[in-house]
Amino acid sequence: MKSIRRCQHIMTLFLLAFIAGIVTLTVRINKQAPFYMSHSENYELGKVYDRKGDVLFDGSGNGDYPNNHFIDVGNLIGDDKGQMENTLVAQNIDSLNNYSFNSGLVKKGGKAAIYTTLDHKANRAAYDAFMGADGCAVAYNYKTGELLVCTSLPNIDPSKGYAGLENMKSGTLMQKAMYRTVPGSTQKVSTVISAMEIMGQSALFSKKFSCSGYYINKSDGKIDCHNSWGHGEQNIQQAVENSCNPFFAQLVEDSDLPLDRVKEMYTKLGYAVSDDETEAEVGYIDIDGIQCEKASTKLTDSSDFSTQWGCIGQGKTLVSPVQLMMWQSAIANETGKMTMPHLIEHVTDVNGKTVDTAETSYSDALFSSSTASAVKQILLTNGANHYQYSIPGYNVAIKSGTAQVKDGAEENALLVGFVDDTKNPIAFCVVLENKYSTPAVAENIVTTMLNSLCG
Amino acid sequence: MSSPISYFFSCVFVIIAHGAMLFNAFQNGNYESVNDVITLCAAVIGLDAAYFIVMPFFKQRTYAVDFMLLLILNMSNIFQSCFGGVHLDLKHFITCIAALVSCRIGCIACRNHRWIQDKKKFVWVGIGVLMVVIFLFCGSRSMWIDLGFMTIQPSEFIKPLLVLACAASISEQQNKHKVLCFNVVYENLILFGIVAAVILFQWWCRDLGSIPTFAAIYASGFLLRICYPKAKFSKKTLIIAGSCVAVAGIVAVILAPPYVKDRLFVDIWSDPDGNGYQQSKALIGIAEGGWFGKGPGEGFLHNVFAYESDIVFATISEEWGLLYALMTVLMLLVIVAMPLVNPPRSYYHATMCAGVCAAFTVQMALNIFGSCNMIPFTGVTLPFISAGGSSMVTSGLMIGMIAAAQSPVFKNPKPKKSRKQAKRRTS
Repeated sequence: MKSIRRCQHIMTLFLLAFIAGIVTLTVRINKQAPFYMSHSENYELGKVYDRKGDVLFDGSGNGDYPNNHFIDVGNLIGDDKGQMENTLVAQNIDSLNNYSFNSGLVKKGGKAAIYTTLDHKANRAAYDAFMGADGCAVAYNYKTGELLVCTSLPNIDPSKGYAGLENMKSGTLMQKAMYRTVPGSTQKVSTVISAMEIMGQSALFSKKFSCSGYYINKSDGKIDCHNSWGHGEQNIQQAVENSCNPFFAQLVEDSDLPLDRVKEMYTKLGYAVSDDETEAEVGYIDIDGIQCEKASTKLTDSSDFSTQWGCIGQGKTLVSPVQLMMWQSAIANETGKMTMPHLIEHVTDVNGKTVDTAETSYSDALFSSSTASAVKQILLTNGANHYQYSIPGYNVAIKSGTAQVKDGAEENALLVGFVDDTKNPIAFCVVLENKYSTPAVAENIVTTMLNSLCG
Repeated sequence: MSSPISYFFSCVFVIIAHGAMLFNAFQNGNYESVNDVITLCAAVIGLDAAYFIVMPFFKQRTYAVDFMLLLILNMSNIFQSCFGGVHLDLKHFITCIAALVSCRIGCIACRNHRWIQDKKKFVWVGIGVLMVVIFLFCGSRSMWIDLGFMTIQPSEFIKPLLVLACAASISEQQNKHKVLCFNVVYENLILFGIVAAVILFQWWCRDLGSIPTFAAIYASGFLLRICYPKAKFSKKTLIIAGSCVAVAGIVAVILAPPYVKDRLFVDIWSDPDGNGYQQSKALIGIAEGGWFGKGPGEGFLHNVFAYESDIVFATISEEWGLLYALMTVLMLLVIVAMPLVNPPRSYYHATMCAGVCAAFTVQMALNIFGSCNMIPFTGVTLPFISAGGSSMVTSGLMIGMIAAAQSPVFKNPKPKKSRKQAKRRTS
């Protein structure tokens, strides 16, 4: 009997090994089935919708849409063709897979979809407001983090394919709002925040520096002002409104603003700060899988020409429009915490069941609430004094910037700010490239975008 | 003896199971004419009924194995008849009947362990003859002998014979002989020689897929030998044996011909139209089928080579669902595991069951895991489910051995008295 039992033990050994294999296989198939399906001829992706149910991407490829229907969102939403990787569809392809192993293959009628927070109409309005010029516009709800507008030019309608790819303009396949650009004077907002945190509000507001159209710094570098006649003596409020470069150069040189502290503050704001000895690695902000580049700058010495320009918005400083906009949320909310943007409102599976819903999230506190309130007041004053006619009907807090690119051959216009309105809490950033080559105006783009969003 | 009531309800259970499958084929299947479904129903239910009538003529303690076998065979019959469209697969139907017959033969032949043990030399000769047949008619050219109206795969028939060879020599373990400083059991050496010869021969024939099955049959026999009788497992022996197997495996991989290495290390998704063709299609088919399948005859895998044999698990999963395919595998496991529930009545039968269990589990693993890309794809059949007469018949023979272990004969048959002797005694 013992011998028979031994035989049974050996049989059990074989059977258990096989059962273990079958269990592994079942788990593996269940887990990897969507991947297998991506190789199937019957593979079909679902749709991407905007916040009002307008289609932004149709995975079936069978829909009938107006000409260039997707042109304003092409390089943000993307497709599954593999030409654009940093896009919503490419990064969330699994969520769009009109398939689940539990349901098997659903022929025509799968309900896998991504419902985005975008407003296609406003997005298209902003796109059209560029009048064919290059650039980008981005806007979001600074209370909830819903990304409402995110368009960039040149752009592509992916539903038309990629014929003539080699002849497309540079930047067509990238959503520019996600990539770093020269911020121009919009950078001064970060410098004001840093100075206020380091010196204290009263000390900063008491500082006065003179502008004669230029400033020769301690290392004999000449910092030009856009107003060659000079702004005279100014305080911080006036300097921001005048966007005075000499003021900020002198502020950076001031002994009350040690550069080490500025570096710390910039790092806290999210910059990758390099100096002569170290090279900082640029990080990314994740927006539902889309990677948005974080800011970077190089600060070596407070009297250094390039360092001062870095704090003014030229030099080695680069910031993505999305991050410029996110800092505005920390100011607008008067918390010092950024509202993290999201593009996906909710996701439905193949059966139409909601499987993932967005929640508002915030960054850690970048600066104090009192600093946020003070900077908000500065920007609101700037908006009231200088933009009430160019952006009519909105109580905007705003900062403009002009960024010299391509070794000064071109100038980009930037506008960053927010609407101080509890009903329409919208923060925005607009970049109009080579502003002198186009009839488009940044203020008009902002106005058009806000009208469409708030109308 | 099985009671008539349990026999009746077992019959009902089998009929209901097949009826449910046939109803599914009728309801969700892809067929041109309802006559196709009716023909299939008639064939399946007819075979069930015929077997229910014939079975009681063979007196057994239990009919559990027979019911399970009938259940599986007609499931297989329905599966094969539905691939690509519902219509009776007559060839497979005939091979199912052949499997039932061979099961009966295997059962009758192995019921008396003394009788079969006495015939072990015939078993050895049988293996030798088969190897000669393979050498003459197959070799490295092909694994099949084409008879015109049918093909035979002789290497399949070595499997039950090897199981018998392993089991039949178990009683000789006590007969140790001193050779130099070793205690040697001659039969063990003979068996080892047979297995080594079979494996090398299969290697030469390029039928590498069946080598693990032969090795598993021998491994089960070997494990039983090193712990016989009343013995403890010798760790030293186990370690030496394990090391030898590992070294042999490594050497085999190194010496493997290029086409084998291609299969061993293929990334199926980077070569979906080459070496990864069948596996990638199989996995896509399983994914499309999901848990509940696309419906009998609704799949696409019937367009893929060896859909009815090498990747049959995937073809069933696609059309009937993974759940059904797993249930089928479970049925196969249950029939093989029957000796765990009804213990074999003799050590000889237990050894035989262990060999059959090893052969079945390894062959199932090679087929299922190979087609699903968990292990290299070898292209062996799934017992009773894959199409193929040789596989069906040999699998039937081996299940017959399990059935024999459930209803063995212990007594020696009494010598028949001649009429003259009887008359003398009465006078």
